[in-house]
Amino acid sequence: MEALNRLFTKSNSAQIAKQRLQTMLTYDRLEIPPGMLTLIKDDIVAVISQRVSVDREHVNVNLLHEQDSSKLVVDIPLIVGRGARTLRSAGAPGAR
Amino acid sequence: MNEQAPLESRVITVTSGKGGVGKTTLTANVGTALAQLGRKVVVVDGDIGLRNLDLVMGLEHRIVYDIVDYVEGRCRLRQALIRDKRAPELFLLPAAQTRDKTAINPQQMVLVCDELRQEFEFILIDSPAGIEQGFQNALAPADVVLVVINPEVSSVRDADRVIGLAESQGKQQIYLVINRVVPVRVKKQEMLSVDDITEVLSTEIIGIVPEDEAILSASNRGTPVVCNGKGPAALAYRDIARRLNGEQVPLEAPQSLGWLQRLFGR
Repeated sequence: MEALNRLFTKSNSAQIAKQRLQTMLTYDRLEIPPGMLTLIKDDIVAVISQRVSVDREHVNVNLLHEQDSSKLVVDIPLIVGRGARTLRSAGAPGAR
Repeated sequence: MNEQAPLESRVITVTSGKGGVGKTTLTANVGTALAQLGRKVVVVDGDIGLRNLDLVMGLEHRIVYDIVDYVEGRCRLRQALIRDKRAPELFLLPAAQTRDKTAINPQQMVLVCDELRQEFEFILIDSPAGIEQGFQNALAPADVVLVVINPEVSSVRDADRVIGLAESQGKQQIYLVINRVVPVRVKKQEMLSVDDITEVLSTEIIGIVPEDEAILSASNRGTPVVCNGKGPAALAYRDIARRLNGEQVPLEAPQSLGWLQRLFGR
């Protein structure tokens, strides 16, 4: 996707510079190395996995920077097993 | 011009983190422009061991004593100051060339500036690149910090670090100067724009200096462009001086000229 973006915005390297800077400065200001995000992701997955099944392939942990704030945005898809599906359809109102 | 009320003296430190972005050129030009406005100005070379401000201002052949000689008691402050005759009240306090950054510590720099405050309205310190002792020396006495950047990723990142360090020292007046802007490349979105940089660094901008061929020939000659130049950089440096002098000068991002405008000189 990034490669595709680059292809279509060949001359717009200023925008790329800005995005890279925003990301880098977020890490600089937090005083953490960028690789730390992977470790945080592993930690979170380990904790969540103790309770529910996590779709590890599609876990996403990102730093989001806005004007004056940064936040960690965590997206953890869960593996919904047969049991859970049965439970839901049984519990849904109007289900037969 | 000479009848303007005297100003409370201010120490203005010019810094950047990254080297080669135009600190020395800015110090020489803004210092000279402030003196042309009738202010009493001293420019201080903070780059001990790699002095260059004297060369950019064409005063190198007149150096006898330097700041380290004064700090170590080998001369009086007056003897180390070199008068620049191109403006009524403009002086240079040169750095030592044969010593290193540890020859002076931040407390001594504060004392030197306190002495200079007795005589001058503006004390401009040209900080060395980096964030080590030379930078700490230049930062310690600062009332105002000017952070010079080029519209380029490594310079902006280093500036963010320098701004953070200045803030942690309690500095409240921190301004950006965006140097070497090429309007036509900004327009083509090949270069970070003023808006991009403001958004990324969220620091107030006090000047935008376009890339200007006149700068190189000016430093070749040892005559800052504000001495007689009418080009875009000279105008931008004068505007910065006027803002530091308390005038309201609107800040405009430089525009790229169309071929018609270029043909007829605007």
